[in-house]
Amino acid sequence: MKTSRIWLLIKGELYRLHKYNVLFISILIAIIWGVVLYFVDSVLFNALLPFLILIDATMMSVMYIGSVMFFEKKESTLSSVLVTPVTNQEIILSKIIANTIHNLISTSLIIIAFIFIKQVKINYPLMLIAIILITAVFTGLGLLLSYYQKDFTSMLTNLMILGFALLLPSALYGFNVLKGNAWEYILLLNPVEAASKVIAGGFKGISLDWHYYFSLFYLLIGGLLTYKYLILPKFKDYAVSISGV
Amino acid sequence: MFKVNNLKFKYKNNKEDVIKGISFEIKEGEIFGFLGPSGAGKSTTQKIIIKILEDYQGEIKYKDKDLKEYNNDFYEEIGVSFEMPIHFSKMTAMENINFFLKLYKNNEDVESLMKRVGLWEDRDKLVGEFSKGMKIRLNLVRALLNKPKMLFLDEPTNGLDPTNAMILKDMIREFKNQGGTVFITSHIMADIDQLCDRVAFIVNGEIKEIDSPRNLKIRYGKRVVLVEYKEDGKTLSKEFPLEQIGKNQEFINIVQEKEIETIHSGETTLEDIFIKVTGVKLDNENL
Repeated sequence: MKTSRIWLLIKGELYRLHKYNVLFISILIAIIWGVVLYFVDSVLFNALLPFLILIDATMMSVMYIGSVMFFEKKESTLSSVLVTPVTNQEIILSKIIANTIHNLISTSLIIIAFIFIKQVKINYPLMLIAIILITAVFTGLGLLLSYYQKDFTSMLTNLMILGFALLLPSALYGFNVLKGNAWEYILLLNPVEAASKVIAGGFKGISLDWHYYFSLFYLLIGGLLTYKYLILPKFKDYAVSISGV
Repeated sequence: MFKVNNLKFKYKNNKEDVIKGISFEIKEGEIFGFLGPSGAGKSTTQKIIIKILEDYQGEIKYKDKDLKEYNNDFYEEIGVSFEMPIHFSKMTAMENINFFLKLYKNNEDVESLMKRVGLWEDRDKLVGEFSKGMKIRLNLVRALLNKPKMLFLDEPTNGLDPTNAMILKDMIREFKNQGGTVFITSHIMADIDQLCDRVAFIVNGEIKEIDSPRNLKIRYGKRVVLVEYKEDGKTLSKEFPLEQIGKNQEFINIVQEKEIETIHSGETTLEDIFIKVTGVKLDNENL
């Protein structure tokens, strides 16, 4: 793996995110969310801000990488990259890193705005770690999901179903529909729940208990294992299947 | 340069092999044509040789070394032009080219390539605004930008007008004259006939014939001369065997005494030979 080549690919990915208006759309959504948060009362604000950061780092990451993959599928450009000296690992890592940088920009916009407007107390290093880790993991999951989708519409539909399925248990637990200590442990295996714990750790005044550390390492190790055993090995099959050449 | 021996390949969802034990060699410095109807296995064979498809059976050697032993540096030496346009439509032609250019160690002079295919003036236009012909020409620039030793061209002139098709064919010949090797897959007979040193006919994953277009024409053509001449205000024609034509008194008399309109040897076309050898038309219609 060559660092110089990865950097070129990342620059290319970021440039295309800009040219294909994905960056513009993500910033626009961040601004819309910012406006919504500005007008809500402080109680709702305190509940909504972590939730919006969670949605941005998880579901939106999947959606953005999905849109990139389907643009490439439509234009068969991946075929052209496959016949360069670039390795599959370099292609995937560049997409994950570029999408993480891109999402970091939009999420940071929301956070920075509210640091000034509503004096939100942020633990900067932990919030940075949270956003980078969660965006990278969910970008990887988005890549994996896109391998098995026919088009962007079906990806969006399945993403909504998946998102609902992942958020529902946590919501049911929060409303005491699901009761018992066992659920506290089971729910941590849900990557979205784990991500919400890691994001919560990025706000000042939140104590970092075992839930936080478990979630952090669960996402880290789970993300690496998913990359090694699913995202990377399945990539070549996917690239060949969409090449259409 | 490439030696393919008993190559077989099956797609995961297929029951039957798509490529059924084909063997051929691509010699260094030649233009080798792969001719067959749609679905014959041309593109699959190309995908295997350029290492996009990997789970094949049989042996492929590139420069006497097993193709499987090469890593991605293999792509420093080859250039690939796909049949369909493969560019980022919301980027300009130069942005596309510069992105790929930086991924290689060796870089061709892009300006002269772009001028050669007539795209230099349009270099700052979005590729999405290009016509299909312009995109195909940009494909060739993309394939040549790393100064490859070998070119793989899939239907290189499909969708081009005759003038631009001629420019591309001239560039392919120039590439060959500079020592390059070319592998062309096509269903356009004229391209193969004009460009290739040798040609293989592939149908249903099997190679039915390999030889030079000239040898094929000699082997499968009628060895006759057809003369059309005027006599008493009418156009008459007569066919003579090519053997001992210089001693055929009737032929000599006609040539000397009549007003000749046309003389043709009985050379057949590659398309006729293809049909004769394979029993299949190039549009995949069984005879």
